[in-house]
Amino acid sequence: MKSHFFSLLFYVLAMSVLCVLIAWGKPFQVVGMFVVSGMAVGSLYALGGIGLVVLYRATGVLNFASGAIGAFAVMLAWQLGQWGVPAVMTWLAAMPAAIALSLTYGRLIAPGLAWREPVVKAIATLGFALIILGMTAFIWDDDVRKFSLPSDKQAVMVMGLRVTVTRLIVILAAIILVIGIWLYLGKTRMGLQMRALANDRNLSALIGVRILKAETIAWAIAGVIAGFTGLMFGDLIRLEPVVITFLVIPSIAAAICGRLDNLVQVLLGGLTMGVIESLLTLQPTLKDIRPIAPFVIAALALLWMQRGKQLLFARDN
Amino acid sequence: MNISRSGIIGLGLAILLFAILPAVSGGQWSKIFTSTACFTLATAGITFMYSRLGLVSLGQVALMGIGGWVMLRMNHAFEFPFEINLAVAAAVTTVFGWILALPALRMRGLYLALITLMAAGGVEIILSTYRFPNGGDGFWGVTSSVSAPFRRPELAQSDTAYLRYVIAITTLGFLLIEAHRRLAPGRAWAMIRRSEAAAYSSGINVLYYKAWAFGLSGLLAGVAGGLLAGTLGLLDPSTFRASESIMLFALAVVGGARFWLGAVIAGVLYRVLPALFNDWGLNADLTLVIFGAALLHAITTAPDGLAGQIINLFRREVKSS
Repeated sequence: MKSHFFSLLFYVLAMSVLCVLIAWGKPFQVVGMFVVSGMAVGSLYALGGIGLVVLYRATGVLNFASGAIGAFAVMLAWQLGQWGVPAVMTWLAAMPAAIALSLTYGRLIAPGLAWREPVVKAIATLGFALIILGMTAFIWDDDVRKFSLPSDKQAVMVMGLRVTVTRLIVILAAIILVIGIWLYLGKTRMGLQMRALANDRNLSALIGVRILKAETIAWAIAGVIAGFTGLMFGDLIRLEPVVITFLVIPSIAAAICGRLDNLVQVLLGGLTMGVIESLLTLQPTLKDIRPIAPFVIAALALLWMQRGKQLLFARDN
Repeated sequence: MNISRSGIIGLGLAILLFAILPAVSGGQWSKIFTSTACFTLATAGITFMYSRLGLVSLGQVALMGIGGWVMLRMNHAFEFPFEINLAVAAAVTTVFGWILALPALRMRGLYLALITLMAAGGVEIILSTYRFPNGGDGFWGVTSSVSAPFRRPELAQSDTAYLRYVIAITTLGFLLIEAHRRLAPGRAWAMIRRSEAAAYSSGINVLYYKAWAFGLSGLLAGVAGGLLAGTLGLLDPSTFRASESIMLFALAVVGGARFWLGAVIAGVLYRVLPALFNDWGLNADLTLVIFGAALLHAITTAPDGLAGQIINLFRREVKSS
């Protein structure tokens, strides 16, 4: 536990030093602007990652389809908006759609694969992702679209920087979700059952954990998070089904930072990825390849976490 | 030497395709079949890793991109013939395969798949930023004007001859995998797949043979990428996105990783089906839905994929007659 804490401390320190190095000698206002937009993007990665980790812990499924679910949700909200449905209703409609998609997979297909290896389960969700993406791209052809929330126009001043409310919502949502899920898993009975399930599925079934119920709740939570992330991504970055679907790849990068297990680390990982990616804009040589930051950080974090491990006699996990 | 029935059918199909396919396909279709053959070769690298060692590599198309990049770089920088460029491209991607093997010593299963995915994501960004050399100056060699000519092999200057050339090399690639399966590496891989501890204790150098598998898979991807560069003489970064790597792995599972036919089916689904949809005036996005449904079908009910189902069908008929 202690070495764990020091690892985390080391990570935060190393990333802060890196940020300072990148931003050295640039005016505070400019740096602050990039940090804020980086934190918003990083929170999106983290949100995606949190959704993945919650589901992975409860069901053992790494859900490649979460991006596609988000993409469908935001496209649906956009379409309803085009038809003149009030904005609030469109968001409210997007959420049940995301939950329904998530539950469709979680109830119909996932139970049949429960006893397979984690890789196979992950690849199966990819099939679901392709179906959703194909349908979404078929219904909404390639076009330039824009999805905006009313909170884009409002802004608050934080330390002399103008921060739009949408960005603030995303950042706060990521933090609140981590705390909320931590409390839910730690303090409620269902949370306890989910943790038991994550630990050993067979034993949990034997002692009477209602596996299907716990898994259904986990899939529903994952659906909500996926839908919310999709809406925010469509607003803050780009409204394009393919792009949002494969947002799942940097989300996985954030999830890797927490070893698909620790939500606080996922949040920290996602935030640092976003901030460093955004700050790299200040460096002329690295500016163009800045989206590589999440992958490099995730690969290094994974190698660091696995250091000194002997695979030879370990169980496959 | 012992040739199985499936092997005879495979060689027969290769000869048949070699003889007939270039003759009947003209214009655009010969290019589509050429790229199909390239992706089939790359998929063969995925399937043997998956079926022989149980390793999931989600970075094969990215490795192809690296192979293609080296190929174009060599072509525009030096006056070497095609074959030497191809060999250099293959050597470079073999080294990249070894680099991917390093994390494989510490992790497997999902984590290994994810780290290859991270590598694919990184390669995607680098390729789309620096693009492919097309005759410009400097290391990255990109010019915005019309690209410099690409030298195809002496033997195969025309499109149809080039298609024959690619089919021949793809067949050689399959034979190379088969040779590995029958010799020491194949036996070592079988043991490693069963149990790494058992393999280790019976004196197999696990590290060495795992790295060998990654190197071989990288080599196949590099050759495939190099050959793909010859199809049009240039490459587009969007061909080598990380999502394409995932897609090709998914199709390898759909095709069936245990049989050579699986890689062929994957290549055909990946390249020919979208082209057919285009020809029929259907939306190519619908192929994604088909791929997704086929993937779910393959994983839930047909572990050996479409190839396994086809081969079972034939076996049953042979038995009943």
